[in-house]
Amino acid sequence: MSPALRADHVSFAYGPTPALVDVSFALAPGDRVALLGRNGAGKSTLVKLVTGLLRPGAGSVWVDDWDTRDRAPEALARRVGSVFQHADQQLFARTLWDDVSFGPRALGLAPSEVARRVARALATLDLAGLAREHPYDLPPAFRKLAALAGALALEPVLLVLDEPTAGLDRALRARVARALGERSAEGVALLVVTHDLTFAAETLERGLVLDRGRLACDEPLLTLLAADDRLAPLGLAPPPVAALSAALLLPGRPIRAADAAHTLARVAASRVGP
Amino acid sequence: MSRLHPFTLLAVAAALPALAWILPAPAGGAGAAVVALGLAATAGARRGLWPALLTAAPFWVFLLMLHDVATTVTIGLRLTTMAASFVWVVAVLPPPRLVEAMVAAGWSARVAYLFAATLSAVPLFKARGQRLIDTQRCRGLSPRGGLASRLRALRALALPLILSALHEVDERALALETRGLAPGIRRTPLAPPRDRVGERVARWGLALGCAAALVWRIA
Amino acid sequence: MTRLALEHVSFWYPATAAPALADVSLAVADGEVVALVGHVGAGASTLLLVAGDLAPRVLGGRLEGRVTCAGTATGAGRRGIVLPTPWTQLSGMASTVWDEVAFGPANLGWPKDEITRQVERALERLEITPLRARDPATLSGGELQRVIVAGILAMDPVLLLCDEPTAELDPAGARAVWRLLHATAREGRAVLVATSDLDAAAEVVDRVVWLEGGRVAGAGTRSLLAADAMCAAGLGTTVAGVWRAAGLAAPYPATLAEAVQRWG
Repeated sequence: MSPALRADHVSFAYGPTPALVDVSFALAPGDRVALLGRNGAGKSTLVKLVTGLLRPGAGSVWVDDWDTRDRAPEALARRVGSVFQHADQQLFARTLWDDVSFGPRALGLAPSEVARRVARALATLDLAGLAREHPYDLPPAFRKLAALAGALALEPVLLVLDEPTAGLDRALRARVARALGERSAEGVALLVVTHDLTFAAETLERGLVLDRGRLACDEPLLTLLAADDRLAPLGLAPPPVAALSAALLLPGRPIRAADAAHTLARVAASRVGP
Repeated sequence: MSRLHPFTLLAVAAALPALAWILPAPAGGAGAAVVALGLAATAGARRGLWPALLTAAPFWVFLLMLHDVATTVTIGLRLTTMAASFVWVVAVLPPPRLVEAMVAAGWSARVAYLFAATLSAVPLFKARGQRLIDTQRCRGLSPRGGLASRLRALRALALPLILSALHEVDERALALETRGLAPGIRRTPLAPPRDRVGERVARWGLALGCAAALVWRIA
Repeated sequence: MTRLALEHVSFWYPATAAPALADVSLAVADGEVVALVGHVGAGASTLLLVAGDLAPRVLGGRLEGRVTCAGTATGAGRRGIVLPTPWTQLSGMASTVWDEVAFGPANLGWPKDEITRQVERALERLEITPLRARDPATLSGGELQRVIVAGILAMDPVLLLCDEPTAELDPAGARAVWRLLHATAREGRAVLVATSDLDAAAEVVDRVVWLEGGRVAGAGTRSLLAADAMCAAGLGTTVAGVWRAAGLAAPYPATLAEAVQRWG
């Protein structure tokens, strides 16, 4: 089975300035990967290469069995659902429903299929009640969710999201986490650019860290987020749960809140003892 | 050209269309249009000449549908002069420089920003537009295809651009308030452009020249 | 000394029946950092706009109750507000970052050397001096946010209002801004911050006000972020949340340091 996404020795430069240097990795269907790194490390460039907005200077990017060099972004949209930063500015239809249906309609699907996909995407994010609202009447946080619904409605094999939780409170972040979890369980691969390491720890499994255009790490978040000494030079720091686990020396160094609570309770109980 | 005082640039950009309308057609209009297009070209083909021609083109089409050839040429040359002058001044005059010049001349900061905002709107729109095209393409929007699909594409691009820009106008007005604008306070000029005597003379000369042409035409 | 006082303030946006703020009373004193926390739509942004004299003066709408900001009778510049969308707060009238930061002070009509002093200081404090000659239009979201904060600080406000000032920043940048807010308060300014970064807030702020549906649902010291009710509402710190979920006894620790101390 071909990977959902594969980068093969990809390099890209903006004029004389290199942005990505010899980056290789692969995502299998259902993989949940965080793309991490400082501002300027090359994350946005990689996203543009995956969506076909840019062509690699060297190497190749494959989405499923399609080489991105052979396809325009609008063709790749059949396989890749993407949400960029400031997606709340991309909406234009009169109702939320119409806006979310833009993608499936652009793909030329039958109306019944469009309706099914839109309904499903809205339901996944609990937005069904707002379907008749004008997008610009909604607060920016909900417009962001609407943009995500638009990407879900494409029912792609790969979702590429750039800072999907910026500006969202805990409840809305939980909605996004749940929606992504559902889709990845169905085999959709996730590549999420994020500074929110808590969200990454809770929702994703693997971390790709870019440092000045190179791939510095490609490993499970469980080991990566607990390693303070390795995160610091990359401009990152362990998220609160990982830091707590390390500080309290919890066995297994859990990085998820529920796991940490469970372990904490267990250790606390064993301390009290008989 | 960027070293010229903003008022000089504005004077030229205003004088050319004025002369195009005042001087006898079609020679007057043609002359002014050639000068204006020439100026636009000095800003480069991509930033100056092409936008000028593309802005003027639809007007020629409409005029041809409504009028005979002679009238079309007359009015078309005048409109082309206006379009080219505007495109040139947008390309060559940075809004901050205009604000500095107006504030140094005693205009209130508020009025200066209003004026300059019309100049800065164009590049901002273009940058926004490009980002929007990218986003919509990733949602499946194809810029190719027949007329119907191109019109649909236009709607998917124009609407969000306008809607978000309008929405932003409110936010921007609010944001400017947060940056210290208050009635009655004179803004401190940070880098007022040099106004050479020669340029001031030239500006007056242009104004007088246009007035003289007007008088001559009427008489 | 109390710098900002809201007394029984209610606010309605134009043509809206339901109030965005209902009977809100709070005060911020010089030298302290107060966090405004709550869910999206709870009214924190509105409260900051009211405190910053932008609502109803610029936005329209109806206000009831009293808003007083000591020593700012003439308004302009003395209340600095950082909006959550740095790209709209850009002046659009500056070709360099230096000019962008100088935009506010220049509008206030200060003498040139004073402007230079304030701008250089602000650039340094936000650690953006290397960006001074860059065109603001080419900056990333994070860089832009720091430029805007610098621009507001350069106006030397006595009251600083911030709406999600770290939303665009990476964790390192966010930490730096929180440290800066703390330092700026210690210099004597009054700082009111609306934030969803509760973990960072718990390390830095002095007091917390919890807004829910336009009303004040709770107020207290930073330990409020570890209160049971807050955790239950999803508004407690991560550490407190884990402690609570583990079934350990209240009061929960709000910060990592407190947790380590409690754990022994």
